[in-house]
Amino acid sequence: MRFAIVVVAAAFTAAQAQDKPAAAPPPSWQQGKPQAQSESTLHPFAPHLTGRASKELPVNTLKVPAGFKVEVWAEGIPEARSLALGDKGTVFVSNRLSKSVYAVVDNGGKREVKTLFTGLDAPNGIAFNKGTLYVAERGRITRYDGIENQLDKPAEGKVVVDNLDPSRAAGHFWKFLAMGPDGKLYFNIGAPGNIVMPNYTQASIMRVDPANGVLETVARGVRNSVGFDWHPKTRELWFTNHGRDWLGDDSPNDTLHRVAAKTVPNFGYPFCHQGDTLDPEYGKNRSCAEFAKPALKLGAHIAPLGMRFYTGKMFPAEYQNNAFIAMHGSWNRTTKQGYNVMRVTFDEKGQPKMQPFVTGFMTDEKADPPMWGRPVDLLVMKDGSLLFSDDYNGILYRVTYKK
Amino acid sequence: MHGLGAAASAVALFLFCSIAFGADAEAGKIKAQVCATCHGNDGNSTEPAIPSLAGQPAQAIATQLFQFREGNRKNPQMSPMAANLSNADMNNLAEYYGGLKAAPPKHRSAPANAAAGPELTKKFNCTQCHGPALLGQQQMPRLAGQQLEYLRVQLKGFKAGTRADMDGNMTSAAQALNDKDIEVLVDYIAGLGAQ
Repeated sequence: MRFAIVVVAAAFTAAQAQDKPAAAPPPSWQQGKPQAQSESTLHPFAPHLTGRASKELPVNTLKVPAGFKVEVWAEGIPEARSLALGDKGTVFVSNRLSKSVYAVVDNGGKREVKTLFTGLDAPNGIAFNKGTLYVAERGRITRYDGIENQLDKPAEGKVVVDNLDPSRAAGHFWKFLAMGPDGKLYFNIGAPGNIVMPNYTQASIMRVDPANGVLETVARGVRNSVGFDWHPKTRELWFTNHGRDWLGDDSPNDTLHRVAAKTVPNFGYPFCHQGDTLDPEYGKNRSCAEFAKPALKLGAHIAPLGMRFYTGKMFPAEYQNNAFIAMHGSWNRTTKQGYNVMRVTFDEKGQPKMQPFVTGFMTDEKADPPMWGRPVDLLVMKDGSLLFSDDYNGILYRVTYKK
Repeated sequence: MHGLGAAASAVALFLFCSIAFGADAEAGKIKAQVCATCHGNDGNSTEPAIPSLAGQPAQAIATQLFQFREGNRKNPQMSPMAANLSNADMNNLAEYYGGLKAAPPKHRSAPANAAAGPELTKKFNCTQCHGPALLGQQQMPRLAGQQLEYLRVQLKGFKAGTRADMDGNMTSAAQALNDKDIEVLVDYIAGLGAQ
């Protein structure tokens, strides 16, 4: 009997499928778009994959505070995303949609861009530690030991951890990677869509011990973080997070978070956004009181990516232990915002506050596209200058300070 | 104050010049000689399986050349063509073809498909990215007036998951199409005015 029921059920499903084809799975960035916004023409902006020459761009209209200077440091690095600094001064650059990792070498003021690896799978995450470059692809992390001695012909890497993305779902499949003060590699596993129920590894920040491959969860309920760093004094992990789309121009905020020592906080996704706003669908039977709160609201859809604390010696003393955040800029908003590098200061209680640092990429908040460049990641150089990447054009900029 | 104003206009003028002389369409035209065999002398293809490039958004052309060179998108003719192009070559080619005039389509859509097409292009999200008249923008190509067989092969490739796309959007969007939808869409779109 049981068998017969199964057959009937299967036949019914097949008949149904013929009458009415399955609903279209929306492109991942459209997932969760309400009926009321079905006519919206808002869409993400794609980078110029072949890059654009800085001479074509109004670079000299970028603004920085008095005493600071911003200039092009290197270009011709397609879709330049995450940055990592080698012991010998090599700047490693990753990308997300492409498949390569680049090494920029400073030869007496002239920068040479070498293609280090090709054919990788969305190698957005890179971290350098003690002579080794770690690369986080979509599904695995690989180590390349002694990389700075073999920039022209790197040896095969060794896999640290594999099978991080078994379902290969759409959504936030790219990873940010950083080496923690505990010698473990920290990375995100993003939510597999705009607003969906994640499985037990997704919507998290995890860490892996490169010595033995042991994985641990560091934070849960994190829709997608593509930037984190450790406070130079407290050693606590801070990270940026992207809020969901299609909940209106001003809701919810993207956020900055602090992970207090010895906790595994849950920051609420997909139930609660920005610490105080229940999701209209997933939040119905939940309360925001269940979840850890963000340290700072950054603005709706503003897309905070790289986040680094400043520990260099070049900038004025009040910049010590400040954080910088690269805002990739909004798309899911009728009036655009972001596209700046922001400075975060902390009061005596450790409460963060944000102000603009590098502005000028956005030229028309109503235009499509509204900007000519998009900051992605930041890197404090040995001399204390600050590099940041722009994936829209494939350019690295350098910010310096002189009294 | 007067001096400052003059300096400001000098800066503005410089900017204008540097933008105007960015990607080099003339250099692109020289590189494009080899492309003309298939894509037409003026970038308007007469081959049903080969796309027209004239008047496409420049970013859309550069993006596809990049995808061919990087091996993300594969085609026996195009992959070797793109293999030795630099990023600057691609930008120049894109600038050149983007500046050419798209010819009116030779294809005539069947009346039934022309009637059904507008609703389908909305239903399947085509207009969402390619624009209300399917003229393309930024990295998204113009579809209107494109060669029919080319459109068909791309849509079937996206549906099969064998045609590379930048971020999964087209693969995702094409899953909703059945063979009949594809035939209606390509017949309608190939007959649309390209201006």
